[in-house]
Formats: sequence, structure tokens, C-alpha cells
Amino acid sequence: MSTHNVPETFSIPVGPLHVALEEPMYFKIDVQGETVSHIDINAGHAHRGIEYLTTKRSMYQNVVLTERICSLCSNSHPQTFAMAAEKIAGIEVPERGIYLRTVADEMKRVTSHLFNVALLVHLVGYETYFMHMMQVREIGQDMLESIFGNRQDIGAMCIGGVRYDLDDKSIAYILSALAKIETETKDIIKTFKTNGSILRRTKGVGVLTHADAITCGVVGPVARASGVDYDVRREAPYAAYDRLPLVVHSLTDGDVWSRAMVRLEEILTSIDLLRVCLRDLPGGPVNINDRPDIPPGQAVTRSEAPRGEVIYYLRTNDTPQPERVKWRVPTFMNWDSLRFMLQDAKVADIAMIVNSIDPCLSCTER
Amino acid sequence: MSRLPQDLEARLTAAAPAGVEYSAETDQYGVTVAWLGLASAADLSPVATLLKDIGARLSMITCTQPSAPEEEEEDEDEDNEDGEEKAEAEPKETPKSFGGTPLDGTSYEIDYHFDIAGDALTIIAYVPQGGSIASLTPLFRNADWHEREMMELYAVKVTDHPDPRRLFLDASVDGAVLERLIPFSTLVNAASTKGLWERLIAGKKGAA
Repeated sequence: MSTHNVPETFSIPVGPLHVALEEPMYFKIDVQGETVSHIDINAGHAHRGIEYLTTKRSMYQNVVLTERICSLCSNSHPQTFAMAAEKIAGIEVPERGIYLRTVADEMKRVTSHLFNVALLVHLVGYETYFMHMMQVREIGQDMLESIFGNRQDIGAMCIGGVRYDLDDKSIAYILSALAKIETETKDIIKTFKTNGSILRRTKGVGVLTHADAITCGVVGPVARASGVDYDVRREAPYAAYDRLPLVVHSLTDGDVWSRAMVRLEEILTSIDLLRVCLRDLPGGPVNINDRPDIPPGQAVTRSEAPRGEVIYYLRTNDTPQPERVKWRVPTFMNWDSLRFMLQDAKVADIAMIVNSIDPCLSCTER
Repeated sequence: MSRLPQDLEARLTAAAPAGVEYSAETDQYGVTVAWLGLASAADLSPVATLLKDIGARLSMITCTQPSAPEEEEEDEDEDNEDGEEKAEAEPKETPKSFGGTPLDGTSYEIDYHFDIAGDALTIIAYVPQGGSIASLTPLFRNADWHEREMMELYAVKVTDHPDPRRLFLDASVDGAVLERLIPFSTLVNAASTKGLWERLIAGKKGAA
């Protein structure tokens, strides 16, 4: 394939099983020397047919099933699904349930963002700091386990509200855990702004321009780091987000550093939102304490998962099973932007750039 | 206080000469969810071009095969709320969608979910079995994966797709997987009946 006067192009496989990738995705990367010239993405290694399965289970069983699509955004799936069912059936979630939904959502966001940024530090090669960040995340994971009894699939959502409640003791515990995470996160942000090792590897690397971000239709922190100022929590509010002091963080450089920084700033915002929620937590029931039949109908609902917009389409009929459930996770949109980010990148940066979209494969392929 | 352009319905109607069916509702948060049924799937491209011009973002594409409404339910069809598209269910005839596509359980309904500054607009196109729909990928780059997934899950044809390869399913798997009955054990590749052992024994004999 080599031609005269042109450096030879080599094809290297990255994945499907690769030390730096957390989940199986296969990138076929053409390189000229150390520089990426073309990439092809081959998906399907974690395709499980969950969309088909949802039509074989009842609406209420599907709350459990959708929680298992993904682990890091395991709260956003049942929540958005339940929102669609509630819209069709005209169910009003009690006020306390609305706030507790927001609490569960933001707790998951804190730990998800910390996990992704910690992995970035690991890929940068700064292992001690990676360990430190995972320890900070562990405060959040302990918090999830103490409140919900589980570290990942927290089982908080149900159609018509939530399945958990908080008392004064658990609220005090959450607030003390949040205080620890807040202090540490502020330190991490300081480190990200000053540490030479991190800055050299992440600044100006894997750039997604604002125009390309619009073309690809990317969502979540990936979009916000490229100057697309969009957050479902503000643009199409749900749960208690319309009455919370939400700050949407966006940056303009669109590089790996900006995406990490958006996530870190969002952790602090989530902690602020959690404090307001826990302060204003209204009394009353946490759910409707009923399992009404969901009438025929269709609905589209959206929420902001840690990685960006999750959208659910639900169509029901006269049976207990839904006729069609379709959802699209943020990463499904964000993979394509890797073609822009990886173009002309160095081979050594591939894994770091892939990690910077916070990829979630089991969500994407379902 | 919808953020959809004031004249959106009029402009969409003008872009789709075969006719549209528009409905919209705004929830207590002020978020509008609008639905636009197309009488002819051929109007999809001009409508999508209009949406591209006003800065809409394609959010998701859903393909589904609506099941045929059962006979005794015909009376109930009248009081469907939520913008169901099963108009004119005449007795003893195959019910038709808006625009006249037969709803016999084999036709496709393809929903294009757009985001316009936070509000949601869903364009609904009906395609009969064996029919085809124009690709939106030349207009919206991010339609690529949605359409590739749609083509492997259903036998629906997407014309002018720039890269119509399989997305998730291997090329060796037969297409239209959501239109066929696939035994659960095959689906999850975890058959624990004696079928697995019979295959293993047969394979062993073949090897010996």
C-alpha cells in the first residue's frame, strides 16, 4: 500500500479488549508514524437485546430491568422510564418523592464524575493521585451503600415516586460526607489547574471544536466543554430542578482538560444542589403507594444523566407489557465525536481521549 | 411559553404538502412536547431540512412495528388521548394510520425525536412493509448510528445512507431480528437444555 514520498500508513487495532479501555470497543486506527490519520469504530461487543426484553416484561418489572442497563447512570434509566409511564398515566409524584429523586440523581452524578476524572489521572500515569481520587470517590460510594444498601444499582426509583426515605440521622450523615467530598474536590480542581503532569498531557489534546460538537449532536459534559451550553436539567427541567439554584458549567476549549474540568465543577454544583434539596425536603409520602395500570399511550421524556441527555420513548397498549421502549444514552451520541478528537492525535493519547468522553458501552449497545 | 418558533406548525405544514397532524402540550415545568404525524413519508426530507434550518438537534430515532389494533377495541380507539395516530379504524377493514398506511402489524412507524432549544418535537413517518425511507444522515450526521441500528433490527430500507453497514450485529446474523421469533435461550446464548450437550457430542463425533 505504500507509495513513494509518502510515509507508510499502518493500521493498529485498539480493542475490543484493551488494557486502557474499561469496556469492549474496537477501534481500527490508521497511523502515520505516531499520528492518527483515520479511525473506524466497530461496536456490538456488549449488545444484549434489552430493548426486546422490555417488551416481554411488565411496566413495573421494567423499572428493575432498565436500572441494569448501565451501572454508573443506573439511576437515570429507571427515573426517565418512570417519568414516561407517569406522563402516560397522569401520575403525580408527591413533593417529597420529587426531591428524593433529585437527591439520588445528584449523588450518583458526584460518584460518576469522580470515577471518570480519576481514570483520566490513571491514564495520565499519575497513579498516586489516581488512588487518592478513588479514595475520595469511595466516600461517595460509602454514602450510596449506607443510604440505599447498594453501591451501584441503588434501586431508588419506582413508578410514582421513590423507594427510599431519609430521616434526620441519614441527612446529617450525607451532609458530613458531602463536606468531605467538597473539600477534596476543591483540592483536585486546584491540582488540575496547576499540576504540570496533568496539564501537559491534557491541555490542547483531543480537541472537539464548537462547530463539530454541534454537527455530532454531542451531549453532556462533552458538549459543555466545547461551548455548547445545554443541560437538560435547565433546558427541560424535571423532578425538583426547576426550583434549585442550578449552575451550568461550560468551557470553550473542547480538550480533554476542559471535559475533566466541567465534570469537576459539576461535582461542586451537585453538592450545592444536594444541600438545598436536603434543607428544603418537604414532608409527606415518598411515592403514590399504588401500582395503577398504565393506559395505552406514548410519551417522550428526557433527563440529564452524568454523561448527558438520556431520552426515553415509551408506547404502551392494553397489556401490562409496553409495546415499545426505546432509549438513547448520551454516549451513543458521543462516540462519533471521537473521529474528530482522535484526528491527528498521538498514539499515546488515544486511550486518554477515549476516556474523556466518559464512554459507557453497555448503555450504548443495550 | 413554548420555545418552539411561533409559526412552527404553519412552516411544517407548508413543508409537507401531503398533510400533517400536529399536536403539542406543555407540562407544569413549561416544557413543550410536540408531535407531528406525516401523511407521506416522502415529506420527511423537506421537514427535516426545515428543522435543520431552525437549529434543531436530532436526539433519537425510534423504529417500531405498531401491532394491529384488536377488533373489539375499535370503540375504545375514539378516546385515546396522548396523540395516538390510529385514525379512522373502519370496521372490517385494516385500520389505517394517518396518511393511509395499513396498520396490520407489519408496517413501520418511525419516530424522529428532535430537540429545539429544550422543547421536544417528534416527527412520525409511516412506512409499509417492504417500503423505504430517506436517510437523514446527509442532513444530520448523528442519524448515522440510529439508522444503521434501525436497518438491522427491522427489514425497513433506508435509502441513500452513506455507510449502511451493520452497527451492533455481526454480518453473519440474519437481519430484522425484532421481526422474528427468536427463542430466549438462543437470544441469550445460554441454552441449558440437553440441546447444548447434543451439539457438543455431535461436534466431538464430527471431530473424531
